Amino acid sequence: MAAYIARRLLLGLVVIWGLTVVTFAIARVAPGDPAARWVGPHATAEQIAQARVELGLDKPLYVQYARYLGQLLHGDLGVSIRTHQPVAADIRTFLPASLELTVAGMALAVILGIPLGVAAAARSGRWLDHLTRLTSIGGVSMPTFWLAMILQLVFFKQLHLLPLSGRIDTMTPLLHPVQPITGSFLLDGLLEGNWPVFKDALAHLILPAVTLAAYPLGLIVRMLRSSMIETLGEDYVRAARAAGFKERVVVYRYALKNAIAPTLTVMALTFAYSLTGTFLIESVFDWPGLGNYAAEAVITNDYPAIMGVTIVVAVMYVALNLLVDVVQALLDPRIRTGVAS
Amino acid sequence: MRRAWRIAAALLAGAVLLAGCGSGGSGSAGGGSEAQGGQGAQGSNVAVYAVTTEPMIFWDPSDGFSNEIIAMNNMYETLLRYDPSTNSFIKVLATDYKSSPDALTWTFTLRKGVKFHTGKTMTSADVKASFERTIQHGKGAAYILDPIQSIDTPDDSTVVFHLKYPAPMDLIVSSPYAAYVFDTDVLKKNGDDWFNQHHEAGTGPYMLKSWKENDALVLEKFPDYWGGWKTNQFDTVIIKPVEETSTKMQMLQAGQADVVDQLPYEQLQALQNDPNVEIVKTNSWQNLLAFFNTKKKPLDDVRVRQALSYAFPYQSVIDDVMHGMATQARGPVPAGLWGHDDNLFQYQEDLEKAKQLLDQAGVKPGLKLTLTYTSGDENERRVAELWKAELAKLGITLDIQAMPWDPQWQLAKATDPQKRQDILMMYWWPDYANPYSFLFNMFHSEQTVNFNLAYYSNPDFDKLIDDANRISATDRSQAEAKYAQAQEILVRDAPAVFIYDQSYVRPIRKSFGGYVDNPAYPNVVFFYNTYRK
Repeated sequence: MAAYIARRLLLGLVVIWGLTVVTFAIARVAPGDPAARWVGPHATAEQIAQARVELGLDKPLYVQYARYLGQLLHGDLGVSIRTHQPVAADIRTFLPASLELTVAGMALAVILGIPLGVAAAARSGRWLDHLTRLTSIGGVSMPTFWLAMILQLVFFKQLHLLPLSGRIDTMTPLLHPVQPITGSFLLDGLLEGNWPVFKDALAHLILPAVTLAAYPLGLIVRMLRSSMIETLGEDYVRAARAAGFKERVVVYRYALKNAIAPTLTVMALTFAYSLTGTFLIESVFDWPGLGNYAAEAVITNDYPAIMGVTIVVAVMYVALNLLVDVVQALLDPRIRTGVAS
Repeated sequence: MRRAWRIAAALLAGAVLLAGCGSGGSGSAGGGSEAQGGQGAQGSNVAVYAVTTEPMIFWDPSDGFSNEIIAMNNMYETLLRYDPSTNSFIKVLATDYKSSPDALTWTFTLRKGVKFHTGKTMTSADVKASFERTIQHGKGAAYILDPIQSIDTPDDSTVVFHLKYPAPMDLIVSSPYAAYVFDTDVLKKNGDDWFNQHHEAGTGPYMLKSWKENDALVLEKFPDYWGGWKTNQFDTVIIKPVEETSTKMQMLQAGQADVVDQLPYEQLQALQNDPNVEIVKTNSWQNLLAFFNTKKKPLDDVRVRQALSYAFPYQSVIDDVMHGMATQARGPVPAGLWGHDDNLFQYQEDLEKAKQLLDQAGVKPGLKLTLTYTSGDENERRVAELWKAELAKLGITLDIQAMPWDPQWQLAKATDPQKRQDILMMYWWPDYANPYSFLFNMFHSEQTVNFNLAYYSNPDFDKLIDDANRISATDRSQAEAKYAQAQEILVRDAPAVFIYDQSYVRPIRKSFGGYVDNPAYPNVVFFYNTYRK
């Protein structure tokens, strides 16, 4: 098992390195002059020329890449062309917000999606199955920004139940100072016993998290339902039932364990994707997350920021995939021993 | 099986409970906003300004040349502030000033008892040090200080600027960029990069309380502000980036924002019926132009450029794209800025005339032209589409290409003029209240292409505007006459279509008093002048 993980880690490193080469090349070959962006609007030609030297953009591309890689090995992601802040600091600011939203949304999707998917499979063809099919197809096909706006209209404008946007009311952390421990207002509020911050952060989190959950929830329910139906038709399930095991044990202990593998992979991919793929949700809810930052970076060809976000997300992808593979290896000995089924 | 169902039900109940807990927590946010609906954002002592993009890009008052001017003009101050509505100067850090007859020596008397947020009292040495540092940095809009030769401080409250050539120092020191006075002593202690680590050291009515990138900038009142404080002024000012227009609109309606920088026309229409919202419209100094590539055939022929100027649907752009939130431009200097000429020739749509000119120039139907505009700008896109329809009637095909600004500009600066676009759309706004900013940057001959994206070069025009700029400090009416002459040449040569001068249309809460839009300080709200009604 250790050798397996080591092999996968090494492979992950190669993947990330390859990604830096490709991203750097694409970002720097794309038209646009980072030096002009750096000095701001209406700059003189001399100022732009000076900035080009200052940023090292006058050097050949491979020198620039080598320099970037050197910095990267020292943990330096460079300075954003657009925000003029160190990219590492930018990511430290935006990643916790994205993680908070993604974890909450995915947790919601998993907590609701697994039992629903299982229940739908166990009662396939019955009304519960039809109902979940309807809601999950709705969840998968509904445009997120539309759902987001509808939720805002209902819960903010009509019912006055939940806040409109943002992570927290701007005044709340000023009136109830919170020390950043994790960067998540929800967790920090909880850890410090700062209830006003916790409650306000939770209230702000609900609508974006529900919006984010809609798609993976639908996906999990649909995938799990079909693989469960297949599994429940297997001989060993019939044998288990014949042996008189309780239905709950048959479904959750024996069938689910075998049926969940593809859903797990999808969950991990969706999670990593959501970190930057949620910029529509972030935009509507004014959630200061990594998705917005990445989108802005791409639009403005802010190559240090593009590189930084790519690396961070790539690391997440690699780590999550590894995690899923390890979990699956634990669930299924054939994977770790390499014996074909 | 029944168990599974029961678990699902329990989880669902848990989720509902969670939502219930959340709604309880939001009592302060959601419910609070309802209670404060009539009062304004957050509470009576807090003002909230929802802006489209990140309010802090540059932190250094010497270097700033971007969105941060909104916050900067509340944290920092300049010697004077220009009021275009009366064409006069508001005395801020200077109480008086005079210029020598040759406009080479400018003497400013400083306000006494002005304190920096650092606690130090401002003297002439600080003014000198601030300007010298900005010049030495040479970043952002520092080039506007180019005329300064040296700065003298005969006593604590007198600053004398000696210039290399005559220049309107009164306008320059009131610029929203590169003209702030700050405490340079803190830099000696903390290093020259201190501002960039999110600090400020101004004299303004508000000081930095907190900032979170892409979240909110919070300013609080500076108790020792030289102007003193009244009870209904704001203690706290929040400048918040809100990208999504529907979110901005809802914030305003719910009283969670007092002022919004811009909204699309459809939403402004919807807001017109809101009893708590008022819409303030002002002429801005931002205008939209379409530059012709004068170095490429057939646009090198003035008749073709004139023809295309006659083939432009001015009225329909104002009515159908801008919905009246703009006026047709009269030359490159916007209305409301000195140097604008009300009698300047203005092209009107006349397809017959356009056809004649094209015939004279020997342009046959079938001509194809490429136009670039900045992607994401809906107004530019719609303007281009309308123009395309008109040009089609003349047998000209307009190929409209949306590009992000960086590549669009890059293409415009391509070494070979033949590789550049035929027509480029772009906005301009001035660095300070000076028509030279428009005429010089966009139409003066350039060695290296920068913003003269028509690649226009006319020595007569160059001389007129350079002369006008030189004498504008001493004889503004004479300068205006020269600028008018220069613009006549320009309009005749038609290196660009002067499309429209944009209006600022700001929706504000009715309870937000004292707000006046000053186009010399684009998007800036001087919060010290505002109060809760």
